[in-house]
Amino acid sequence: MYNKKGGFSMPAFFKKTEFITIVIFLIMLSVVAAMQGNFFKLSTLQNTIISWTPLILLTMGQSIVIISGGLDMSSGNALSFMLCILSATMHEENPMSGWIALLLCIIAMIGIGLINGLAVGFFKLPPIIATFATSYMWLGAALFIMPSPGGECVNWMRAFFKFSSVDNMPKMLKYIGGIVPTGVFLIILACLIWYVVSRTKLGRYIYAVGSNRNIAYDNGVKTAKIQIIAYLLNSLFVMFAALFMVGQNQSGSARIGDPLTLKCIASAVVAGVALTGGRGNVFVSIVGAAIISLVSKLIFFSNISSDYQTVVSGLILLIAVASSSIINAVKSAWAKREVYSDE
Amino acid sequence: MNKILNYLKENSKITLCTILIALLFIIGNLITGGNFSSLGSTIKFASFTAIFGLGQMLIICTGGDIDLSVGYCATIVSCITAGMMDGKNNNIWRAIIFAIIVGILVGLINGLLTVYTKLPSLVVTLAMSQILQGLVDVYSAGNSIGGKPSPILSVIAAKNTGVFPNIFFLLIIIIIGVMWLLNKTKISIQLVSCGSNAMAAHLSGIKVKKVRVLSFVACDVIAALMGLLLLGNLGLAFKDMASSYVMPSIAAVVIGGLSIKGGQKNYIGVVLGAIVLQTLTNLFVSLGWGDSGKYLGYGLILLLMLIVYVREKVSR
Repeated sequence: MYNKKGGFSMPAFFKKTEFITIVIFLIMLSVVAAMQGNFFKLSTLQNTIISWTPLILLTMGQSIVIISGGLDMSSGNALSFMLCILSATMHEENPMSGWIALLLCIIAMIGIGLINGLAVGFFKLPPIIATFATSYMWLGAALFIMPSPGGECVNWMRAFFKFSSVDNMPKMLKYIGGIVPTGVFLIILACLIWYVVSRTKLGRYIYAVGSNRNIAYDNGVKTAKIQIIAYLLNSLFVMFAALFMVGQNQSGSARIGDPLTLKCIASAVVAGVALTGGRGNVFVSIVGAAIISLVSKLIFFSNISSDYQTVVSGLILLIAVASSSIINAVKSAWAKREVYSDE
Repeated sequence: MNKILNYLKENSKITLCTILIALLFIIGNLITGGNFSSLGSTIKFASFTAIFGLGQMLIICTGGDIDLSVGYCATIVSCITAGMMDGKNNNIWRAIIFAIIVGILVGLINGLLTVYTKLPSLVVTLAMSQILQGLVDVYSAGNSIGGKPSPILSVIAAKNTGVFPNIFFLLIIIIIGVMWLLNKTKISIQLVSCGSNAMAAHLSGIKVKKVRVLSFVACDVIAALMGLLLLGNLGLAFKDMASSYVMPSIAAVVIGGLSIKGGQKNYIGVVLGAIVLQTLTNLFVSLGWGDSGKYLGYGLILLLMLIVYVREKVSR
């Protein structure tokens, strides 16, 4: 509250970019709530949260990777790969197949995280182009499993979507599921995992590797290991999203995750996660994902004809990604005569 | 003999590409029992990839950037010019001018955003390609995509002269032009020095940012003109028609042995890389794996080549 000279100053939090993000979110929320009369009705809120959940989970994973100094261009296709594995192995009449699907999905999750992490951490490839290459691998694998959309979902797996949609569920859980979609619990679980990680040495190391890999290495941090763990956490959160989506849609498609890649990067950037790495807050990135989701809702409400929606949302994503960099560029141009710097 | 060995050592990556092509061709012939796809069609589609790859090579060379919007840049040009030309040779100039304007606009936006805001080029151009895709949707929603390419374009892009497709001769002209441009003129020094050491280039008086933006413009103009050729090849325009060339055009540059971090130029390598990829695609098609095998193969070979080429320069 008080700065070093003893005078009163604003709490540090209000000066951060995170504060601006939350203010923007609240403004947009109130606009959308005003436009959509029944926004705070229980069923509307439920639908809103359901439609936001995959993006929020992907954004949390993406933020961890970006903070660790990488970027994941493959998270959308990884999502559809896991979805295809889940829905292709499950057969509705055989509940046991759900466990096999879950096991296979966990194996795929570890494989995806390891390959991305090894490419970036161990082989030191540029993260963007390396994950761009792997994204095509996941897309190809997903198409190999499921050339056309389809598949099934066992009944108990739908617990990842809503407890109430499972037949033989205890009454108490069914009641809870009627109010809160499981997506909320998945997000809370993801938050808990990141909270635990960020309180340990590992969390510090992730930030350290992101801000400067060489200096972190010189100080004895195992940079390769840290980046692999960051990518593994990312693919774990992507798996949560896949479990949620297979319960929701009860089918899989190889192309469903692709548009989410750009969206989750944009969400992370909007939430103040610096693409250069080492700066940002994973919890605030949830708000970033909510902002990007609200934007598509606003486009929907603003009577733009459906043909134009791809253009407008693409434009907004571009502006969202560019906004912080443009502001910084303008700031530095005002502050001093430009000195050329290489990155 | 020694001279030959030395030459091979100096151009190890080109040699590797040639060996890869030969190997893939032999494997393909063994698997299919002698009727692996014809040389003509391989060269034809490889030429398309290679010309797209020229644009990617320019921006990768000047700063390690990558353009994902080339596919939709070509698509939007071919969708709109198909109606413009309507099968007449007289209207081709209008189409070419339109393509160049679209290319310059897209390239300027991509380049300015990437260079001046220091955003990752992949993210900017991914958003750009989504915008262009949206514009194609808007255009095709209003009036269905119709029209034909003018006959000249069909002759250049689709017809054969003897065994070789005509596009191959165009590629040879482009190769000679690019070789002259990149070996005999001042441009090559500017391009390479921007990529290999931007600071040194800046201090020696090269306008680094301008060169990088211009390379983006060149890349997208090439992509837009490729839209015309693709239209000539297929005879009609549709959504998504060029998006399958995006990944191969990038992979061709990497397989051709150029550093993804910039500062290297070697168009022959890119052309050979494109032929490798096309042979690989033919192999997957003859195995009956179709799209899935193609994407998986592109991803795998790009990742492996990156590991092989980038690894040797990393000290730690």
